[in-house]
Amino acid sequence: MTELVAGARLPERTFGPVTATDIVRYQGASGDMNPIHHDDEFARAAGFPGSISAGMLGAGWLAAYCTEYLGEETVRRFRTRFSEVVYRGDRLTASAEVVRRFEQDREPRVELAIQLRKDDGCVVTSGTAEFVVR
Amino acid sequence: MTVMAIERGKIREFATATGAARPAYMDDQQAPVPPTFLATVVFWRPIGETLRSPQVLRACAEAGVTADLASLLSLEQEYVYHGPLPRAGETLRTAERLSDVALKHNRAGRAMVVVRFTVSFHDERGDLRAECHYTSAYVNRERP
Repeated sequence: MTELVAGARLPERTFGPVTATDIVRYQGASGDMNPIHHDDEFARAAGFPGSISAGMLGAGWLAAYCTEYLGEETVRRFRTRFSEVVYRGDRLTASAEVVRRFEQDREPRVELAIQLRKDDGCVVTSGTAEFVVR
Repeated sequence: MTVMAIERGKIREFATATGAARPAYMDDQQAPVPPTFLATVVFWRPIGETLRSPQVLRACAEAGVTADLASLLSLEQEYVYHGPLPRAGETLRTAERLSDVALKHNRAGRAMVVVRFTVSFHDERGDLRAECHYTSAYVNRERP
């Protein structure tokens, strides 16, 4: 287990290559049925070369990555910002770096800078996560 | 106010769909919600009513931005939890409020109307358990 001091990095985890199945399974589970994520024709009409993955699927993968190391019971804040679109076939790597340890509401917490990037280094999702650490 | 039941099967399905099929989510009858699980509130109430509010539609009209689904992008989502995480078997009451509407420009210089709104989740005792802050934008895309 990585010691959670400022600057420490969690071991990375890779997701994908993203498949149509990954996307539709997430859409069904989440209830976000926006056709831009599974209907190529609809996505082309909106100006994309084909359908794009759901930003919240990447956020969900980042959440899975964080809870694997920090536990399923302790999340306090989870923020993700979507900066690039993801297409089928993209492989994504999750990473996290400890920003600080602090106390809030009488709980010891850790803040992580989290991101998801493509193989070419392009960051598709970035954000911050706070977990209680004992 | 709309009621949202936190269901064990839904947590299993969501955990599986996000690469988190671990015992804490799959086997616990009172499993905690995964960090972004409350996105499934859309099965209980339409989210983004505020995206169709008069204030937002007026801002889009003034900026010449089309306020339709194909022009809508999700820029950011932030979940904040207060107290113990919601668990399977609990019932939460949800409400949505508009926070902010702003005209901005994207990297390509095209106008976009950025809308911030919050969905809140209170338990049956009336305690605030979670909030989701959404930042979305209507932006005109170049048609092919």
